[in-house]
Amino acid sequence: MIDFMDNVQNAFYETSHWNLDNSYGALNATARALLDFQTPKGLRLQISSLAAPNFATSYTIGSVGVVDGSVSYLYSSLPVQRELRSANLALRHVIRGYRHLQELRRPDEKWWWELWHDGVRIDNRDTLLYGRIFLPQSTLEALYLRRLSPTRQLKITAVSDSNLNNGGTILALLQTDVGKYSTEYMYSTDSALLGVRGLYNFGYDPRVAPTSTPTAEDVVEPVHGRFSAGAELYYGLLNKSGGISTGLRFTTLPNHTGFPYTMTLTLNPLMGNLSSTYAVKAGKNLALCSRFDFNFYSYESELQLGCELWRRRSNTEVEWAVKKLRPEWKRPIASPDDDVSGILKARVDQDWRIGVLWEGRIKELLFTLGASVDLRKREQIFRAVGIELQYSS
Amino acid sequence: MAFNFNWSPLIADTSRARDMLTAALNKSPKPPIIVDDIIVTELNLGTTPPELEILEVGDLAEDRFRGIFKMSYTGDAFLTLKTKVQANPLNTYLSAKPSFASPQPLAAAAGLTIPLQITLSDIRLSGFVILVFSKQKGVTLVFRNDPLESLKVSSTFDSIPFVRDYLQKEIEAQLRVLFMEDLPAIIHRLSLRLWSPEFQELETEERLDAPKDTTVPIDPFSTPAQDAVDAFGNPIEPSQISALSLDDPAEVHASFSQKNMTRLAALSESQRTLSLFTPGIQEVVFRAWTSPAGAESGTNTPGLTQGSLSRIQSTFGSTRSHSSSVASGSTGNETQSSRPTLASGYSSSANLSLGANRSRTGAQRKRKTRVVNLRKTDGADSPALSTESNTPLTSTNVSETDSVIPEEQEEDVTTPPRSPPKNGFDVGNPTTLDPKSLVPAVPLHASPPKAPKPKQKSKISTPEPVEETPRASRRPPLSHSRLRPSQQATSPLLRSLSFDKVSSLSEKAKQPLSPPFSDSTSSSGGILEQAWMLKMAQEIGRKVQDEKDKQARRELRRSRGLEKEGVDVRDMAKGVWAEDEEVEAPPAYRA
Repeated sequence: MIDFMDNVQNAFYETSHWNLDNSYGALNATARALLDFQTPKGLRLQISSLAAPNFATSYTIGSVGVVDGSVSYLYSSLPVQRELRSANLALRHVIRGYRHLQELRRPDEKWWWELWHDGVRIDNRDTLLYGRIFLPQSTLEALYLRRLSPTRQLKITAVSDSNLNNGGTILALLQTDVGKYSTEYMYSTDSALLGVRGLYNFGYDPRVAPTSTPTAEDVVEPVHGRFSAGAELYYGLLNKSGGISTGLRFTTLPNHTGFPYTMTLTLNPLMGNLSSTYAVKAGKNLALCSRFDFNFYSYESELQLGCELWRRRSNTEVEWAVKKLRPEWKRPIASPDDDVSGILKARVDQDWRIGVLWEGRIKELLFTLGASVDLRKREQIFRAVGIELQYSS
Repeated sequence: MAFNFNWSPLIADTSRARDMLTAALNKSPKPPIIVDDIIVTELNLGTTPPELEILEVGDLAEDRFRGIFKMSYTGDAFLTLKTKVQANPLNTYLSAKPSFASPQPLAAAAGLTIPLQITLSDIRLSGFVILVFSKQKGVTLVFRNDPLESLKVSSTFDSIPFVRDYLQKEIEAQLRVLFMEDLPAIIHRLSLRLWSPEFQELETEERLDAPKDTTVPIDPFSTPAQDAVDAFGNPIEPSQISALSLDDPAEVHASFSQKNMTRLAALSESQRTLSLFTPGIQEVVFRAWTSPAGAESGTNTPGLTQGSLSRIQSTFGSTRSHSSSVASGSTGNETQSSRPTLASGYSSSANLSLGANRSRTGAQRKRKTRVVNLRKTDGADSPALSTESNTPLTSTNVSETDSVIPEEQEEDVTTPPRSPPKNGFDVGNPTTLDPKSLVPAVPLHASPPKAPKPKQKSKISTPEPVEETPRASRRPPLSHSRLRPSQQATSPLLRSLSFDKVSSLSEKAKQPLSPPFSDSTSSSGGILEQAWMLKMAQEIGRKVQDEKDKQARRELRRSRGLEKEGVDVRDMAKGVWAEDEEVEAPPAYRA
């Protein structure tokens, strides 16, 4: 379950028409959501509030050995319109699961953002500020996000911690997304790391408006998938070391008639690492994922399997009545996933390390219950067990 | 005496040492680049034994030994380790960083773990080793410094310079920790297994648990003085200091902590300047305290009051009665030992240091003029004694057995009479003093023989109230207020013993000295200027006088003739001669 503040940030991206998925960093987001989820440790409580449409606060207290906590504040120049109260927020916003990619959206025209008043431009760039301090450790996280233009965004993240070299680190990220392709340039003060990332989507270019009338072929075989390729390159100026990787992705689009699926293949030529994932949304409530890693230098391989299962209450008494409702009738359901009793996520790898997560909503509380299990180590099977509770108003 | 170190059995079986090294290497948190346990696959101690040079043997018996060695090793031992390392620098770099500000690469940080075999060879060691052996407690071997000089790391990655350098650096750092912390523990455990059978049983049970008490045997060494220095300020070798801390506590005094050394430096610095600041040093007697004036500070160092007390007695005794001075000499055996330096330093250096310790407003300047004037008065008023102005001093030296005394006497005899103008100084000050400190001094009039005891009391009672006033202004008045009544009280005694000498000295000293002294004390501000001006005035006056004398002598010689020159000139021009003496003598008292 993602953090309240992350949810607010996602809402900001959505409101400002920024596509998070159209980035090389999000190439295998589906596989990571299904296989690399974090299992909570210990008890953690979070109380959050969207005090005003532009201002959010969140307090976290946890007990892992010692009691620790964090206080965070967020300011967004764009009013957040998303429902954030834990009682009625949409669970799909807070559960990271199979990411169903949408059709690429044409980027906003620049003049759309312009606001004129009495012959003077009065519009401002949308900005998001976020800070979080972890209390006993005195670690400070800060985020500055600014939409420079409809196709460009600047994101500066900083961590201040006395344990780090030079007392902290700053990462500046300049992102450009024009739909057809996206690029990112980054600089990290830590060892002066420079990075470039790019993603290119083959096929349909959203910037070019369809001029010709759709041909018969288009009608018969509509584009139902998207093929993307990308690469990243890093170089640390101070430690004179770098990294490189390239990746491919094919994913189905909503107009695909069969079940949606996503395939990715990433290659790290320097380290000889080859990773392929295959994720499929087998039904409305089930997603499966597998990942196979192979290193052709060390011949090490790894296999991971994961699944996501949405459990819904079946109220058989009224099902027949619901079926008889006509689709155009407005359904009297308060929240879209009122019948969701919980979401189960599980993963297992070839070493029998198992991670289980059970997420859901009880009354007005969002909960996450998780455990990671290592069946190989008999003496200590449960590596970590934890529960997280979130309440937001 | 000979030691026989047998190297060959050590190299025979290394399997146990290998296991222990493996455990030790995996105990401490490993750098992120090492992703697996470190396993020692091969350990060979080589055929060349280390060279040991015995620096010190602290304890030697059949069942125990303690010694310090200088060890240097240039043998052919080698060690082979096996582990797995992360070859992707981006991976290791990011693993230590917070994820919030991390670039979060997609696959560029993908790990590549490579089995790594490292061979450590060409190990060059040199350092000080402390070896403690006892049958019961086994062998404790501690390196007092970082013994690792160099070593050669050859690994699978020798062809990649970046990785090779990194490995070399990391391994050296780890080895230093191993030598300083883990190796003593390993050796201790090994030795225990060898010598004490009960430990072997214990050990087998304990092996399941984590080893925890391995560092205990190092304890005796673990608290030596921090950055110790010797008497000359040179840092003491760690081996030496550990030896000191091991030996009986009496020897520990030989080492000073850095803190005390800086204080001492500050003290000597303050003596060189006009600074009134005296840094507090624990368990230290300042010479200034030993005079009655500084007696109040004796309570600050309770352990040493006896010494300072006896010194007060001696000063009093030496001035007024030789009998009491003898008594003080017998009681203050501790302080007497330090005295000779003073006595021998009767010349310029001692006077300087004394002056620095005491008040600067009066004492130094006083002494200068006082000595000069003493001789002058001697020469002028008591020609009967001898023609030389030095005679009073030499005579006292002869009469008094204690070599200390001349210095004391010279100081104290002259100060009290000289102080009429200083009395005004005194009158103001006693209000700041604790009345108790002065009251005990009064009984001295009545009972001179009991003098030392009340003194002691007064000294103990004074310190707190007096402490507020700066030392320089406080000390001289104190001494005078006490000295005068006591001196008067003891004067009958004095007269009985060395009546003619001392009384004549003190009485004569009164009149001629007072004028210059009142001058100096009247303007209390601008001490430096005052001193300078006085000095210059004296210097100029002396020069002028000198010239005049020479001219006068020449004229005398011309008029009188050359044969009877010496005696006649002296007889005729006494003042001139006294002035001449003055010119020659003072340089000893002037810095």
